[in-house]
Amino acid sequence: MSKESKENANSPIEKLAGTPLEFVKEGTQFINKCKKPDTKEYTKIIRAVGLGFVAVGVIGYAIKLIHIPIRYLIV
Amino acid sequence: MVATPPPPGGQRILRRRRQVQSSKEKKAKQTPTSARSAGFGGSSGSILKVFTEEANAFRIDSLIVLFLAFGFVLSVFGLHIVNKMSGRLY
Amino acid sequence: MANFSLIDTVKPFLPVLPEIELPYEKLEFDDKIVYTIASGLIYLFSQFPLAGIPKDSETGKILTNVKDPIFFLRGVFAAEPNTLLEFGIFPIVSTSIILQLLAGLKCIRVNFTVEKERETFQSFSKLLIIIQYFILANIFIFSGYYGDNLPIVSIVLLNLQLVGAGIFATLLVEIIDKGFGFASGVMSINTLVVSTNLIADMFGVASIKINEESDVTESQGSVIYFLNAFRAKHLTIVQGIVNAFQRDYLPNLTSSVIVLAIAAVVGYLFSCTLELPVRSTRARAMQNVYPIRLIYVGALSIYFSYSLLFYIHIAAFALIQIVAKNDTSNILAKVLGHYEIFNNILYVPSFPLSLLAPPRSFFAGIVEQPLTFITFTAFMVYTGMWFAHKWQRISGDSANDLAEQFKDQGITLAGRREQNIAKELEKVIPVAATTGAVVLALVTVAGEYLGLKGKAAAAVVGVAGGFSLLEIISLEYQQTGGQSALTQVLGVPSTF
Repeated sequence: MSKESKENANSPIEKLAGTPLEFVKEGTQFINKCKKPDTKEYTKIIRAVGLGFVAVGVIGYAIKLIHIPIRYLIV
Repeated sequence: MVATPPPPGGQRILRRRRQVQSSKEKKAKQTPTSARSAGFGGSSGSILKVFTEEANAFRIDSLIVLFLAFGFVLSVFGLHIVNKMSGRLY
Repeated sequence: MANFSLIDTVKPFLPVLPEIELPYEKLEFDDKIVYTIASGLIYLFSQFPLAGIPKDSETGKILTNVKDPIFFLRGVFAAEPNTLLEFGIFPIVSTSIILQLLAGLKCIRVNFTVEKERETFQSFSKLLIIIQYFILANIFIFSGYYGDNLPIVSIVLLNLQLVGAGIFATLLVEIIDKGFGFASGVMSINTLVVSTNLIADMFGVASIKINEESDVTESQGSVIYFLNAFRAKHLTIVQGIVNAFQRDYLPNLTSSVIVLAIAAVVGYLFSCTLELPVRSTRARAMQNVYPIRLIYVGALSIYFSYSLLFYIHIAAFALIQIVAKNDTSNILAKVLGHYEIFNNILYVPSFPLSLLAPPRSFFAGIVEQPLTFITFTAFMVYTGMWFAHKWQRISGDSANDLAEQFKDQGITLAGRREQNIAKELEKVIPVAATTGAVVLALVTVAGEYLGLKGKAAAAVVGVAGGFSLLEIISLEYQQTGGQSALTQVLGVPSTF
């Protein structure tokens, strides 16, 4: 507890200048404490976002397609 | 052995009141660091917002702007056509 | 006024600065989708070829030796070379992010509690954005990027087009920002452009001439090209397949796969959260968790690092090209480095400017600029981290702000005294923000080192922006109770 509060006194930036190792340690500790998604959750998220991404991308590309004949027309 | 409890009121309460008062004042004096921390929308931790207020400038309706933007691109298209028709314009 | 403030300099310009009106009432969910998509599509449509550039009458090529010096920065800012959106949304992103940072760090005095000051601050940002579009346009014009010795008519026309498009891009962002669309204009537009480019790079059907002498054309999309490899006329099947993975002049399958991998990694990182156990102060035995995201500042740290990079490279370009004429014997070119033409479209900087530019391919990087691997990584990591640390404190999502929110919502950290919430959160949030920014920077540079020429950073920004937006969109969707005509028609899954 006392060690943590001592670390807290300095900002992470000062820590990087002085002891980058401490920052790396703190960071990896944090990552280790993080809850990672399991395979099922992960596929669900990826599918939802991927679907949205592709849908939006296709709509966007449809607009881009208009540019192709226009480019031929004006070059 | 039993310590006598401090009498109610008096110095202590006053001191605490003063403390609370000064911390409140400090908070009020400290201007917020962003529109959002002042409680008026704006960028958050992971969202960058640029325009949230309606400033007293030259006001236009949003739909009109969408049409104007479209028209702007069309005018550039027209420029291309004029350029092509008249050969080397510039 | 005793304390003259910088932002007040905008006041004389107010009558001519365009300003979108706020919506009269809160828009429906469907209307928001329509507005967001419409603004984004008009932005895409504005990636329209510039008029008034002198061209070779036969090949249609621009007559200039000055090539694209910011090719690796374009992806992040949705910029397309030789179009109206030559600089994309760069001035908008960089100006707003830096001004808000400066205001937060009290370098500029803005009192955000006063409505008048917030308005002035916003108008000041807008003016600065338009000025930057103008400066950038003229740096490109006078560098000879659009051709040497342009006639005055061309210069005026190019200025009108580039600055006009810049103003309209700003207004499109403003429309989305002001509540007609979802959350953030720059992020919505960027996500749309990144996803469009991804589709175009993979499934683009346009055929593009690959060299000037012959009439051989190849498809733009890597997947389409791969499928076409079996019946290409100028290559054998094996050559065609190999070429599909490693062609350098158009999108190849390898880079498409790397981009998808980066998107998957960013998706994974975004779902890493530290779950703090919380309990309600009102109801007993209400245990719950409050997630603190690892990527606490989202893609903003990458935006910030790339904004700095853009300023550095555009300044260097102005000095090397306009002042020193890219002449290696000039003292400026000796100090800063010069540009070498690559593939007839890119301007690759040489040492020492190359220290802050990702290599054009992994092997070229190892052979020609091994030091870049250290300097560029250090730059990205350090700036990202510095930004994340400052931003989490000023953006209204700091430990103190969160503690206040906890109080309002009547929740508290389990096993902690209520007075200590802010202190406990202070132990978590800055670490999350800086660690997340560092991890995201590392993913970006790893992708860039594989020679994606800005597409890696674009993928990170696009996907991360998409995630941040999706959170808000799904929240609003739930608030409407899932009553949306659009989603019913499209059959979009109602849960995220």
